[in-house]
Amino acid sequence: MIRSDNGFFGEFGGRFVPEILLPALTELEDLFFGLRDDPAFWQEYLTLTQEFSGRPTPLTPLRRISKQLGGAQIWLKREDLNHSGAHKINNVLGQGLLVQRMGKKRVIAETGAGQHGLATAIMAARLGLDATIYMGAEDIERQYSNVFWMRQLGSKVVGVTTGAQTLKEALDEALRDWAASVENTHYVLGTACGPAPFPELVSYFQSVISDEIKVQSMKQMGSLPDEVVACVGGGSNAMGAFAAFLEDPEVTLVGIEAGGLSLKDGEHSIRLSQNTGETGIAQGYKTLFLQNNDGQLGDTHSIAAGLDYVGVSPILAHLSQQGRVVPDSATDTEVTEAFSLLMKTEGIIPALESAHALAGGFKRAQQMTPEQNLVINLSGRGDKDIFTVARAFPQAEWAGFLQREAERSSEIMQQKGVL
Amino acid sequence: MFPAQYENLQIMSHAVIGFPSLEENEKAIAGLADAGVNLIELQVPFSDPVADGHTLVNACYEALKHGGSVQATLDLAERVCARHPEVTFVLMSYLNPLFRYGLERLFEKAAAVGIKGMIIPDWPVEEIEPWLPKLDELGLSPILMVTPNTAPERVARITSASRGMIYVVSRMGVTGHETNWGEKFQNYIGEIRKHTNLPLAVGFGVRTTDDLNALSGKAEVAAFCSQYIEWQRDEGSDVAASKMKSIVQNIVAS
Repeated sequence: MIRSDNGFFGEFGGRFVPEILLPALTELEDLFFGLRDDPAFWQEYLTLTQEFSGRPTPLTPLRRISKQLGGAQIWLKREDLNHSGAHKINNVLGQGLLVQRMGKKRVIAETGAGQHGLATAIMAARLGLDATIYMGAEDIERQYSNVFWMRQLGSKVVGVTTGAQTLKEALDEALRDWAASVENTHYVLGTACGPAPFPELVSYFQSVISDEIKVQSMKQMGSLPDEVVACVGGGSNAMGAFAAFLEDPEVTLVGIEAGGLSLKDGEHSIRLSQNTGETGIAQGYKTLFLQNNDGQLGDTHSIAAGLDYVGVSPILAHLSQQGRVVPDSATDTEVTEAFSLLMKTEGIIPALESAHALAGGFKRAQQMTPEQNLVINLSGRGDKDIFTVARAFPQAEWAGFLQREAERSSEIMQQKGVL
Repeated sequence: MFPAQYENLQIMSHAVIGFPSLEENEKAIAGLADAGVNLIELQVPFSDPVADGHTLVNACYEALKHGGSVQATLDLAERVCARHPEVTFVLMSYLNPLFRYGLERLFEKAAAVGIKGMIIPDWPVEEIEPWLPKLDELGLSPILMVTPNTAPERVARITSASRGMIYVVSRMGVTGHETNWGEKFQNYIGEIRKHTNLPLAVGFGVRTTDDLNALSGKAEVAAFCSQYIEWQRDEGSDVAASKMKSIVQNIVAS
């Protein structure tokens, strides 16, 4: 069970926000603290995730890859099989229960890869709420299919054009909206970051992942796994995969960050390793941020929009400092290789974010023995990445198809007078 | 110095350090001083200014490309504090650049170069309170923000930690949009006065002479910032200064 010390985890966390946001955060915290130990509330949440998102998600053995790599038995926790295609829906469904209790009629969210935005759009449609999703203009280009579906679902998607136009700027813009709308709007923060109580609250809902892994591994492996590996952007899927194992020291917990193109400034999103992130206070909380000596938050890069973020969950920053979570990273190239290997050997299409956990996990499994078990959290599926993956594995046929599709599309636009 | 309680309305204006350039900042500040502006915020540009609207967000972004930083702000402050002794300079910054510089070192430097107050929108009262003895010793006034949704017991806590002035956020939202100064606003001001004898600086949405007329007799200071930065951006510092001059003369005359 994750419990902050007045919003802090060691030196990280807290609530460093403009005064105007404080009442909403306190209201949310009071509500959350009143519910989180109530078994009936947890059951209500579990029932919702079962009925709407198909939980529990399976734990799939990767028999062929395990044999090929010759190390530990590798298992995938299949968060990709959630409705909406990623673990993000867990947190959103949970926050939906809170929104209903608060009686607010509008929700806002930030999104990077678009999976959290999509999950929020789905929840808003289901509950009849107005939704506005903030997304960096750069990310809109990278993950347009999610933008398309968010709009079809009835959400307003606002492209953010300040700064590097990615997740960091989307989060800033969502905070600005909230400062004006806080009395009737709930901010559905999508990751285990931001001001208290969000890191704790998001981890609470996502912990359903590791609760299930625990039960499933006892049943399927006959023991707890030796290692659990997850990718780390903001940190919500990692906190979800780790939470139930924090008190089991025999289970090694590994977080894989985006190694990007290189370790040069602006070419990666590694915050937990030595000489990368440094303690800072921004976006409402204290954590390890990529920043310069003047305290300006830095630029990041990852092939995966969902990992392209300057900060990291204060809970993970703390656990990493304590040595409980082992930080590692995977480069863009290693990620596309792991992506391809999983697809071709096991018939599963992973999200590029989750493929970081695959790359890191496969490497570690090779150093282990066949009697050991390693679980990789497959946080999402790769359908959304079709354009990015098509660029990584170029095919003339695809380019030709896009050209013809663009022509068909503009013909229809002209016929309907949309242009 | 900061105005006394119930003194006539005066204007606080703004410089984003590095916007449009460090050289231009000095000229613009001289222009503001010449226009009769006696309170000027020196804003350290930040990559993620969450309490600001688009005018100041974009100004910060430009400023960072033109050498704006904590050190540049302190260097500039040292020169303008010496050159314009009639002006009270207030450091405005988000917390992280100051935190990275080292808070204690920053406070000492700021006080030494002649800065009199600080506005830090993402630094909550709980975190400021332990620093009050140090800040009082240095004569550096933390100017805390009260917002329309701040609960009364919190207004009491904020006003008692505040020094020099209280920054009254006029409405919900971020900087750079209009505000309605009706009865609701007056009641809000009245509630804050019950907790403090400090003068009130009203900010967010002060953009026209009408806004200033509405605030005259109700607050001691009007923060006229985003509109000024827009003038500076669109028409240059000289035109912006002459517009400020007529604004200042207008309220002195009324």
